[in-house]
Amino acid sequence: MTTAEIIFLLVVVVTMGGAATAILAGSIIYAILGLVTAMFGMAGLYVYLDSGFLAMMQILIYVGAVTILIAFAIMLVGPLYRRPREWTTLGKFAAALGVAGVTFLVFSRFVKATFGGCGVPIFGFGARDIGRIFFTDLLLPFELISLLVVVAILGAIMLALISQGRS
Amino acid sequence: MHTLLYEHLQIYLFVALFLLFCGIAGVIYRRTLIGMLVSMELILNGASLNLVAINRFVCPENPYGLAFALIIMGLAAAEAALALSMIILIYRKYHHIEGENLKELKG
Repeated sequence: MTTAEIIFLLVVVVTMGGAATAILAGSIIYAILGLVTAMFGMAGLYVYLDSGFLAMMQILIYVGAVTILIAFAIMLVGPLYRRPREWTTLGKFAAALGVAGVTFLVFSRFVKATFGGCGVPIFGFGARDIGRIFFTDLLLPFELISLLVVVAILGAIMLALISQGRS
Repeated sequence: MHTLLYEHLQIYLFVALFLLFCGIAGVIYRRTLIGMLVSMELILNGASLNLVAINRFVCPENPYGLAFALIIMGLAAAEAALALSMIILIYRKYHHIEGENLKELKG
């Protein structure tokens, strides 16, 4: 086993452990730290998939923006530490495990049956190729995503104004 | 020829499936709305890992999977901003953010 394979296994374990921490942690702050760990692991997986630009964007957007946003919201919604236990009942936990387990079993049959890919093809796309494809083939989705972001920002501002009693 | 461990498609797909598993379980049993939002982020990440892995191993001629993974990141950011502003609104109105007790609309 080469060094790259050992590092890959570490990255996979970090991703899975971060995801498990994000849903099993009792405190919501620990859950967010688990989410950050999972995001860093995902960035490592993107590096192994030969897409370094996407790994950089993952760290910038998820770790730098989304997680900080969630942390701000936690600070704004007041003391959550009065009831630190995050899950409700044992029955609900069993139901969640059941639903997610059935989903896992169904999709794992698909994954096992997948075609393993045609060896290791050359895959070298950088920021230049992604930008070019955004402005030629995927122009409509690109414009739609910018429209969506504008609508989301306007909606957030409207909700903030409503909560202050103005409309 | 011996293929390296990180050159199998199935490993990436199983990691993405594990993220989906964690996300679904978290959405169902988390008590607060912020916990549910964290789980939703896990589901979106699993989807984008799927797209990039299949783009890299099955059709490596064009970077559509990378582009759609970037679009998913934008979607996740917009969704997080909107959902968190709604959560803050709910907190100002009800003084808690537990999903189980939010039973009325327009209240």
